[in-house]
Amino acid sequence: MANKSLLTTLTLLAVLLLVAACAGLQSRYTLPARHPSAAELTVSPKVCTDCHERGQELAYERYVHTADFGKSHRPEATQGEAVCAMCHQTSFCNDCHATRVELKPSLKNQSETYRSSPHRGDYLSRHRIDGRVDPTSCFRCHGNPKSAQTCARCHG
Amino acid sequence: MRIGKRYREGILALILLSVVLPAYSFSAEVVVKSDTIFRFFERDTPSEQDAAVLPGYEYLQIDAGQLDDYGLSFHLYGWGRADFADNDYYDDQTAGELLYGYLQYRQEVNRFSARLGRQNVFEGVANDAIDGLRLSSDLGDYFTLSLYGGQPVGLDSTQGRSGDSIFGGRLAHRFGTQYEIGVSYKEIENDNETAEEKFGVDLSLFLPANLSLFGYSAYNETTGDWAEHSYELRVPIANFLLKPYFQHFSYEDFFGTGANAVNPFRGLATADEELTAYGIDALWQLDAAWTLGGKAKFFEYDEQDSAETYSMMLTWQSEDLTQLGGEIGHTAANDTAGNDYTLVRLFGYCEAMADRLWIDFFSGDLLIAFYDEEIYGEDSSLFISLGAGKRFLNDALSVKLSGDYSQDPYFDDDLRGMLTMSYTYDNR
Repeated sequence: MANKSLLTTLTLLAVLLLVAACAGLQSRYTLPARHPSAAELTVSPKVCTDCHERGQELAYERYVHTADFGKSHRPEATQGEAVCAMCHQTSFCNDCHATRVELKPSLKNQSETYRSSPHRGDYLSRHRIDGRVDPTSCFRCHGNPKSAQTCARCHG
Repeated sequence: MRIGKRYREGILALILLSVVLPAYSFSAEVVVKSDTIFRFFERDTPSEQDAAVLPGYEYLQIDAGQLDDYGLSFHLYGWGRADFADNDYYDDQTAGELLYGYLQYRQEVNRFSARLGRQNVFEGVANDAIDGLRLSSDLGDYFTLSLYGGQPVGLDSTQGRSGDSIFGGRLAHRFGTQYEIGVSYKEIENDNETAEEKFGVDLSLFLPANLSLFGYSAYNETTGDWAEHSYELRVPIANFLLKPYFQHFSYEDFFGTGANAVNPFRGLATADEELTAYGIDALWQLDAAWTLGGKAKFFEYDEQDSAETYSMMLTWQSEDLTQLGGEIGHTAANDTAGNDYTLVRLFGYCEAMADRLWIDFFSGDLLIAFYDEEIYGEDSSLFISLGAGKRFLNDALSVKLSGDYSQDPYFDDDLRGMLTMSYTYDNR
């Protein structure tokens, strides 16, 4: 076990050195640290392609906030976290993705009905069916000992 | 949920740091957001029937440093709860959690980013909260590398944190906006025992005619087989967007997380089951305001019978957050889950009402579910929520009052109220 930890540490150090060495390879395009807000733009920034044409730097069309973007943004969040971070702090993601909380997302932000908060209404009844049809969707958020504490009251 | 002594000290240190840090620089930007929530409802407790439950919550977010530009910044978000009724409804009278608290340094060159502290890591196979360090940087025009290591927050409730560790990373190669392919790795140890070891591949491929393909596959090194394949094609045709997709899960490899395994998923890891799901999402942008959408998803299993879901939605939205909409869906899972249900939802949120009413915004939500088979003697659920709010102090303070009513298999006649006060301090 000690050898494995040493090997892991050495590997990490080697990769860190590689990162430091490669940092000299400067990329030509960098994102701005922050995207102007709706108030600054006087238009909604949710439709990227209203202002940005597809160029070599970013496939803007994939970040357009369509009516179902709240339920389908996994590929964008996986590959484009830096793009998301131009407008959203992590707390915005935590409104839905935090499982170390007592209040379920649709309750904490109850009046924000325009957001696709999961588990709206009587989800206690519906989860008996959804959970059997596709338990992988439950596991993504409730799959470790801490985040499964909300399940433990009934499921042990 | 109880905050341990070590965490209390950690949270205190982070709060102090967040206050002290900006003082080092006159140019520091500070944003503090506070959500104070009071709820009131009734529940049966071990000592009393219809006991009043009065929890109060505080959600605090602090962002300080160079927020609008590259540089050094500090970010904290957490919550705490006190039970003002103290009538045994909650296991503990107080509870809370630091969701994240980290120092971040970002530089424009190569989008280099370093984060130290509690943070969420979302890198390929990783979707975890860690206490540790994450580094990421572009390596020229064609590569991006991110690395992280530390202790997984999700395991801090299992025999302490000694011997718990998480590390991994993602290396991505991209070619302009033609494609991006990433490989990722994650290893978690729980009490010095390997709990999870996963490899992942993610792919974006941008094709002619604005077609695009997104994919993700994960391999469970511990069980020695693929856990998941998820692939989605996006086909825009005029005002239509079609998204056919395919997913495959092997339960043993997807849920097999070794020493991390928890109920109700522990049993699934030993089930010799495979799930193949496929379907299509369709969106029709009728104009700038109206959107019509439809979804169909089919589930096929090796062991169980198949299931399917269908839904349609229609929304109208204005330039602000005002939105009205409705959804109807049906899940047919009688052989898989022993039940089917149909769900109907109508919702609305109206902004900028101050010209007509004293309130600034109003919201409503109605959900009705019909079950084919009764659940605890009930074959339907009704849920209604209404809310209204007013903003003060140049919109820095908003006060919202909302309530919901539920009549469902678990609650005969349940009325709950909530008062939310949100305050934002922003010196930018």
